[in-house]
Amino acid sequence: MPGSRTRTSFRPRAAATALALCVVLAGCSGGDGSSSAGGKVVLRYTWWGNPDRAARTQEAVDLFEKKNPGIEVQTSFSGYDAYKQKLATQAAGGDAPDVMQLDYRMIDQYASGGVLMDFAEQPDALDTGEFDAGLLATGRVDGKQYAIPQARGTETVVYDTKRWKASGVEPPREGWTWSQWADAMRELAKKTGKPGATDPGQSEDAFEVWLRGQGKALYTKDRELGFTADDLARWWTFTDKLRREGAVSSAEQTTQIDGTVENTPLGRGYTISDTNWDAPSSGFLALIPDGVTLAPMPSGEDGTPGQYFKPSMFMGVSADTTHPKESVRLIDFMLNDAEAAKILGATRGIPVNETLRDAIAPELKDFDKTVYDFQASLDGKLNAPPQAPPSGDSALQTTFQRDYDQVSYERISPREAAENFITEAKAELRP
Amino acid sequence: MTTTQTKAAVRPQADVPKKPVRRRREGAAWVFLSPWVLGACVLTLLPMAVSLYLSFTDYDLFNAPNWVGLRNYTQMFTEDPRYWRSVGATLTYVVIAVPLQLGLALAVALALKTMRRGRAFYRSAFYAPSLLGASMSIALVWRAIFNDGGTVDNLFGTGGWVNKPGWALFAVALLTVWQFGAPMVIFLAGLQQIPGELYEAAEVDGASRWRQFLSITVPMLSPVIFFNLVLQTIQAFQVFTPAFAVSAGKGGPADSTLFYTLYLYDRGFVASHMGYASAMAWVLLIAIGAVTAVLFRTSRSWVFYASEGDR
Repeated sequence: MPGSRTRTSFRPRAAATALALCVVLAGCSGGDGSSSAGGKVVLRYTWWGNPDRAARTQEAVDLFEKKNPGIEVQTSFSGYDAYKQKLATQAAGGDAPDVMQLDYRMIDQYASGGVLMDFAEQPDALDTGEFDAGLLATGRVDGKQYAIPQARGTETVVYDTKRWKASGVEPPREGWTWSQWADAMRELAKKTGKPGATDPGQSEDAFEVWLRGQGKALYTKDRELGFTADDLARWWTFTDKLRREGAVSSAEQTTQIDGTVENTPLGRGYTISDTNWDAPSSGFLALIPDGVTLAPMPSGEDGTPGQYFKPSMFMGVSADTTHPKESVRLIDFMLNDAEAAKILGATRGIPVNETLRDAIAPELKDFDKTVYDFQASLDGKLNAPPQAPPSGDSALQTTFQRDYDQVSYERISPREAAENFITEAKAELRP
Repeated sequence: MTTTQTKAAVRPQADVPKKPVRRRREGAAWVFLSPWVLGACVLTLLPMAVSLYLSFTDYDLFNAPNWVGLRNYTQMFTEDPRYWRSVGATLTYVVIAVPLQLGLALAVALALKTMRRGRAFYRSAFYAPSLLGASMSIALVWRAIFNDGGTVDNLFGTGGWVNKPGWALFAVALLTVWQFGAPMVIFLAGLQQIPGELYEAAEVDGASRWRQFLSITVPMLSPVIFFNLVLQTIQAFQVFTPAFAVSAGKGGPADSTLFYTLYLYDRGFVASHMGYASAMAWVLLIAIGAVTAVLFRTSRSWVFYASEGDR
């Protein structure tokens, strides 16, 4: 029968096609980055930061590869906002990088979600003997060390040195209050024709400093909101008034902030100062050739300091990594190696390793020295840092900015926006 | 029942020699289709099923999902003002961008139709933005053009469009309108299908150009217009890349370009509420289905199929 003949001759072909298909599909899958290539252990290491930090980190990683010929490190970095989203997606897909940089706000979520490895699993690969014990403890969740702080950082009023001087306005001094800061911004605007500062209303970090200056906190010990709609409405009324007066940046400028210094109003040359973290402010140097100065954040009206030393930028290891030992060894190198410390300087803040901190202090130059001196000037004067923020906080940072957008574009009143935020925050923090 | 039975009874006799051949062809068809079928199952149907399940949970990317029933849906409709803002922004965008894009596409197609020389060149030139437009890089360039200190600001002194709540949406819509190439090519093909005699006859009767356009071109082209309308409307509802890039990923300023898909992304990937985002995705699917159904319903009264006359 002709029919059956063709059928039999057809079968092997179909099988071959199906087989070929399987091979193709198999080839497409299994793109696991953390495997071995040519006998080498390949690690993926990601972080956020500016180009300066990227260059220095790459240099340190190159040195690590030279000292550990069996290990290859694939690096990638981006701005904070983009990094946060990408990492969350990778983590959810079980594809988190072997070694990742984490923010204080992420630890709780990542640790409780089972993304991070407990460092107790690799006790020999990392030496934490030289670390500041209090700082090290900030990387613990439920008694387990899920992340290692790389450094400490603090908020600062960073300003364009030349322009502020030229304006003739009295420069910021230690212990200045928020109302003195506001007066300075008004004066700067009057003298220079540009807003004195980036509108701090959009920044949850700045709000936290203001709140702590009044003896309050973002979160209570039970991980609930530590402030009320009244507090937030007062803060936003304060900043909104300054914006209307032209003392701080316009809504059009403020809305462009995306976690990179390049897109801040100061970085774009529209204002004289900005509130930012100290170490990342090095990014301004490439944009403001005449240099920037770091000043302390304003205090509460009774002199209570609001800013604090925050463990900045943790390192964590993926719970799914196939090379836990090598991953921890990379972290050990970044934090404990004297040469690496010299290369990295203060790009992530002042190192957590106390011996290295003292060793590199005299050798620090340029902006690293600026950060070191700035932190030294505040040492012993600030209140203890708050505990790690609860899981929902990471999303609330964006919500905060967005709700304030509604205020600065004059869509709704500070009061309404504050109430919206409280509602959203309560939903976000719901267990 | 009886007819099917008789058919079944007759069939074996007539089909005996044919049947294996047909099955063989079917087999071959399945083999050739298999990459697509596999892809559709693994990459489309399975994720869709999972997302339907997740839409009834509180999945947050990090912890195992818990069943919450309809909570995501009730929260969306009753407790989330930003959800409704995103619906508003999306509808505004669809209503602005789709007619403008189709109008421009039709106008250019009409101009090209009468063009004798260089038509191929212009057709390609006008189509080029459609090839480039979906890319992130073009959207970023767009943002730079419409930012403060950008080209548009320098030329017209309007300030940065992308940072003004009333204007940002237009910047995104313009990017879509600019990519009118795909509907234009379809319009052009449709225009060439219209028999020339109709115009000649109209000319003899003394009909003006405008009259000819309204009474010949539009009715004869209406199936193509309908096709483009449905396609572009569906696409407009799903717009993501241009809005994401032009608003720097935030749907700003002041939520003015917070399109549905952008808010969905924000809920899922920024706030880690995958359950909620999945519920939003399903509502979008149903909404697009409903809008398309309405378009089909109205089409009966304005779409003219030439073949209908023969029936």
